[in-house]
Amino acid sequence: MNAAAWTCLLLPLAAAAAITLGGTGISRRVAGYLATTAALAAFGAAVVAFVIMLGEDPEARAHTTTSWTWLSAGQYHFGFTLLTDQLSVMMMLIVAGVGSLIVAYSVGYMDGENEERRYFAYISLFIFSMLLLVQSGNLLLLLAGWGMVGLSSYLLIGFHQERPSAIAAAKKAFVMNAFGDATMALSLFLLVQHTGQLDYAGVFANSPQGGTVANLIALGLLGGALAKSAQLPLHTWLPDAMEGPTPVSALIHAATMVTAGVYLIVRCHTLFENAYVIQDLAAGLGAATLLMAGLIALVQVDVKRVIAYSTMSQIGFMFVGAGLGAYPNAMFHLMTHAFFKALLFMAAGLAIHAIAGEQDIRQLAGIGKLMPFTKIIFLVGSLALVGIPPFSGFFSKDSILASALAQGWYGILIFVAGLIGTFLTGIYAFRLYFIVFTGEPSAFAREHFHRHQGKEAPFSMLWPVGALTLLAAFGGLLQFAPEWHPLSTWLDPVAPPLVEPTSAQEWLGSALAILAGVSGMAVSWAIYSAKRARAPKPVRLFEKKFYWDELYDLIWYRPADLVARGLYAIVEKPLILGSLSAVSEGAGLGSRELGRAQNGLVRSYALALASGLAVLTIVFLSAR
Amino acid sequence: MQGPDIQWYVVLSAILFTTGALGVMLRRSPLIILLSVEIMLNSANLLLIAFSRLHGREDGQVFAISVMAVAASEVVVGLGLIVALGRRNVDLDVDKLRTLRG
Repeated sequence: MNAAAWTCLLLPLAAAAAITLGGTGISRRVAGYLATTAALAAFGAAVVAFVIMLGEDPEARAHTTTSWTWLSAGQYHFGFTLLTDQLSVMMMLIVAGVGSLIVAYSVGYMDGENEERRYFAYISLFIFSMLLLVQSGNLLLLLAGWGMVGLSSYLLIGFHQERPSAIAAAKKAFVMNAFGDATMALSLFLLVQHTGQLDYAGVFANSPQGGTVANLIALGLLGGALAKSAQLPLHTWLPDAMEGPTPVSALIHAATMVTAGVYLIVRCHTLFENAYVIQDLAAGLGAATLLMAGLIALVQVDVKRVIAYSTMSQIGFMFVGAGLGAYPNAMFHLMTHAFFKALLFMAAGLAIHAIAGEQDIRQLAGIGKLMPFTKIIFLVGSLALVGIPPFSGFFSKDSILASALAQGWYGILIFVAGLIGTFLTGIYAFRLYFIVFTGEPSAFAREHFHRHQGKEAPFSMLWPVGALTLLAAFGGLLQFAPEWHPLSTWLDPVAPPLVEPTSAQEWLGSALAILAGVSGMAVSWAIYSAKRARAPKPVRLFEKKFYWDELYDLIWYRPADLVARGLYAIVEKPLILGSLSAVSEGAGLGSRELGRAQNGLVRSYALALASGLAVLTIVFLSAR
Repeated sequence: MQGPDIQWYVVLSAILFTTGALGVMLRRSPLIILLSVEIMLNSANLLLIAFSRLHGREDGQVFAISVMAVAASEVVVGLGLIVALGRRNVDLDVDKLRTLRG
């Protein structure tokens, strides 16, 4: 068990190190295959761990293994500890499984790109960091993984380093995430102060219950989760992060890293339950995010940005689930979302790849006629996203909505928000589908479309997409809440749900959600397909993304800029720059003046000597 | 062994030294300046010997001999310079020899 856990964690790191050290000594292809093999082997190790765990008693499935004491400070010792339990095995399977598919897809997608090796080294590093995050046995190691996924996300968003917009997006993502890391670190300080340790079990058993401290701890963790998962109000980095290559968007900004916030809440659910106000806040922010992101997604014209906003919206659903205490449902949605959202990104990637990197849906319009396979898989992904049975999103999203129904008036409020969100999902998902994949190809699409040896894409890109299509279509059958629920049973020892919706609530939630989704699709069909009408005049508020960027500009950037300019004018220029030039001018002046004393007249030197001697004599005599 | 009191020697030495110093500062001819320097050195010698006699010890006299040796060498160098200047037909006036300056 422990060997499997270590293998799973360290193989991607080994691949990253090998590609980095190998440098130009290994070919680009080999670098890709190396990364793919490592990710697949990590997935294999995760499967081994899973199988071993299946044979164990449900209450004895948590294993910790410590390799060495990582940090020790005074009486505090933090080990390099891995925890393998039901929750982390599930995350390992998702991360390594979807990760290996996407790395395999990258081999074809990044072909011919400059610096492929750097890409594969980064992405292996990312998989290692993400596995470290989910496998860590204490909160300190979790924070290390948390920071490292932020770093690899930064590196990969800025992969096209010749594009200034990519660099700006990378910096934005890093700064936003660093803010979350900081609040998380503060919360860890509080935990160390009050419990004296950071191991999960010890922290959960000893952390304060209720009161300001518990609230602050939960709030700090929530800050980290909000930043990493791009939820209100720390969400503005995710749409810009679409500057990265498409497989990166699929892996990091859809399937794994951005869902780390959900994992954090589920993992630390005890801390959040001790501060129920904060947990409710998480659910409320999730609901607000899913509404806002849905509205913005309606009017975006960049295909990847639409999917990015949809990701924010779906993670909003997961936050609702985690915030309302429906942990298995949140994790279930995390899993199905990883499947269908990665699929949507990869299908979009196929289209973008075939048409010279264009991402504007008006240019991509009608490409479905040229790419029938891509059209079908995009349709599968969209149906799963909207939650139409039997596709996977249906099972997971609806059980979250049902849990909301079972949570009093606050839950009902969130339930309504979720229904509206589902309706919006139907509109924007099928707006994308109808515009990009149905109808006649646009002039641009006809001109720039190119096949790859008679196929829509190289085989290395097609088989991972095919595998994900199957997962997105049927992965949801794993759990159908009122009838069978192996996932909830599996996770029960780690994260017992706070809420058990009745069968009636499950059915009602599902029925209303399907209704909302289908009516959204119908509206979309009426506007974008039946009439091929111009889109209704987009609301300016949505186009401007609710002015969040402008708001942050106003609150943070402008005052800082003003202060900096003011300090430059008042302090730096006169005092610091001024004093430097004054010093040099003074030295120059002084030496010129002093130089005049050396006039070449020997007698004056002698006079100076004699008078100096006289002065000294007088001083010594009088001082006696 | 009787002689004048030590004060007389000190006063005479001071007068000699002042004469020499004034000579260095006021005269322009390098030859005279060299002479004045000799006077200053010898005023010091006088003081050394006087105090050596006063205390009945010989160290001061040894010092005086060393000072004479140093003075002799200094005169050799100084005169050598002056002869070199004379050979180049340079005016023997220290106020005109002022190219070495800041």
